[in-house]
Amino acid sequence: MLILAFDTATDVATSALVWDGEVLGERSSRAATGIVDVDALLRRGGFREGQLEGLVVGTGPGRFTGLRMGLVTARALAFALDVPVAGVSTLAALAAGAPGAVPVVDARRREVFTLVDGQPRCLAPDELRPAPGTTVVGDGAVRYRALLEAHGALVPPDEDERNVPRARFHAQLAAEFGCAELVRPIYLRVPDAERALA
Amino acid sequence: MILALETSCDETAAAVLDGDDLRASVVASQAELHARYGGVVPEVASRRHLELVVPVAREALTRAGARLQDVERVAVTQGPGLIGALLVGLSAAKALAWARRRPLVPVDHLRGHVASLHLPPDPVWPPFLCLLATGGHTLLLEVREPASFSVLGTTLDDAAGEAFDKGARLLGLGYPGGAAIDGLAREGDAEAFAFPVARVGGLDFSFSGLKTALLYTVRDLGAEEAEARKADLAASYQRAIVRALVERARAAAERTGLERLAVVGGVAANSELRASLPDAAFAPLALCTDNAAMIASAARFTDPVPYPDYLSLDAYA
Ligand SMILES: [Zn+2]
Repeated sequence: MLILAFDTATDVATSALVWDGEVLGERSSRAATGIVDVDALLRRGGFREGQLEGLVVGTGPGRFTGLRMGLVTARALAFALDVPVAGVSTLAALAAGAPGAVPVVDARRREVFTLVDGQPRCLAPDELRPAPGTTVVGDGAVRYRALLEAHGALVPPDEDERNVPRARFHAQLAAEFGCAELVRPIYLRVPDAERALA
Repeated sequence: MILALETSCDETAAAVLDGDDLRASVVASQAELHARYGGVVPEVASRRHLELVVPVAREALTRAGARLQDVERVAVTQGPGLIGALLVGLSAAKALAWARRRPLVPVDHLRGHVASLHLPPDPVWPPFLCLLATGGHTLLLEVREPASFSVLGTTLDDAAGEAFDKGARLLGLGYPGGAAIDGLAREGDAEAFAFPVARVGGLDFSFSGLKTALLYTVRDLGAEEAEARKADLAASYQRAIVRALVERARAAAERTGLERLAVVGGVAANSELRASLPDAAFAPLALCTDNAAMIASAARFTDPVPYPDYLSLDAYA
């Protein structure tokens, strides 16, 4: 099965072309140019978009605008190419790229997204309590390195590739392929206006 | 055949245009969704566009009796508008165009409003003078070529549609305010209150003084009296906005020598404005508020961007 996977929910857009588990290519850039990478991956691999058999998209949590750009791209491609889509959370993909590590994505406004008992959560950085010796990865881990290291956690160097999601892991984790509209974004935060009304 | 998408504000829209045959125009309005906040909330709008844009595009193709393969160009609003909302439509359009190796036509939203005039049943072609009045813009335009313009005058503060919305809020009416004021004004006396029509230089507009005048009038009347005279207040307030628009449009006609005036944008739906400009051409009611038919119409007169150049296009606020 020829699969195109991409995630534009964080500052680093990642995309990969995977054929029956074999990674044929992987690229990264900014969210705004995610589709440029996708196009380059296919052309470099000598494939046509019509040969794609499935899409995997990162469902966040992350930056709302980038997250939506990725999801709408997946939904529009699924419609145009008539292929099924699977969603994989950005946190799960990060965790898969660093076995045993806790994934932490910078949520801005002094908050982070992380997994607590396997569930995505939005927390204040000082609510993170990794056990001493635990590895913590992601742009949130890099940003709050001092705080995490004070708890005895290990954060890979800033440029370490474990700190960014890589689409090969999205492809690897993708389980159920189905209707694109059923693949939903993980926002975790309600819009400010909603909070104001509540 | 052109498939167009429009997601610049709070309407998710798609249209299919074949030559000058508008085969389908679908608009999923978010007005009700935003009414509870009293105005458009960008984050809420963007979330909704994500849910709606592909289903709306699919619906437009179905109603047009067309398949995506039949589409020769994909058009999309590139700006101006809410950036997060625009990026949903632009990303969707890029994906559709890319999947079918079709060119993409990035369309300016304001040129789209002007191009709403170039559609049947009574297309208006240049040269003409155009009053574009929406919730975000109030412009007097000189139109010499299809879907393009030069600006003669603009608002220095609020847009006309914004003035309607803010006035409606002061009067305790719902959102969107234009329709609410228009409806209530019919039961009121437009001469009951003398609201000022701002005198600013050139062909520009200003509505902030009017808004303040309404605020003070409501305050001075007191809650009970203001409530009792709500229809008169709405009618007088609307009269002042319409008068400002009409006066400037007349002045622009005199200055440019352009005899024909056309009115586009959401405020073009206002009944008093229509009555005050009996000789003007108005965009069809369905094409006054944001829609994708006007984007498709403008795309006919806009250079398409070939594959793969459009993949890196960005939206502009
Ligand atoms: Zn508009």
